[in-house]
Amino acid sequence: MSSKLVIVKNRVRDLRVARDLSQAELGTELGVSRQTINSIENGRYLPSLPLAIAMARRFHVSVEAIFVIGDEEDV
Amino acid sequence: MSGMRSRTRRGATSITLLVGGAVLATATGIGGSPAWAIGTAVAFIALAAGAFVWAGGSGDTAAILGADRDERQRGLDRDATAVTGVVMVIAALAGAVISIGRTGNPGGYGVLCLVGGVAYAGTLAVLRMRP
Repeated sequence: MSSKLVIVKNRVRDLRVARDLSQAELGTELGVSRQTINSIENGRYLPSLPLAIAMARRFHVSVEAIFVIGDEEDV
Repeated sequence: MSGMRSRTRRGATSITLLVGGAVLATATGIGGSPAWAIGTAVAFIALAAGAFVWAGGSGDTAAILGADRDERQRGLDRDATAVTGVVMVIAALAGAVISIGRTGNPGGYGVLCLVGGVAYAGTLAVLRMRP
């Protein structure tokens, strides 16, 4: 039995840099660590729904504007 | 956040190590090995001090050693705990099988397997009801 791994891409880095924020500053504003922001930007960690919504509110965009469902891979 | 609360959060693992070490050292002393009891106490104090220093850093491990974790770090801690549990269960099962092969009964390993099984079933039942 095979299952699909859904790849979720995000624009967190672009949105953060556009607002001249460091990873640490964004993390402090959202109540998470710099490492967690880094992991999200590099696709190593998928944030919880509350954190995704908090990011969307911080950037004044929709959640869908930050996180995009990409290709699917067999695992 | 006050400095006192920050130090308490930073010292979460250290406090656990100190309490665990005190219990273990006391048991060792009561068991008739005062030298080992002192050695155990010293070792745990050193571990607690090391954990306190490490928890003052800024990395993921420092956050996990303290109590001020974000959602990803809580997940890392939870996953590491789960893997540790699986490894412990495999070790207990292997020990039980070997003990049965040697003596005909699982001995203490059987108790560990029972505790693990009951803990898993109980946790699953509770977590299913969690909102």
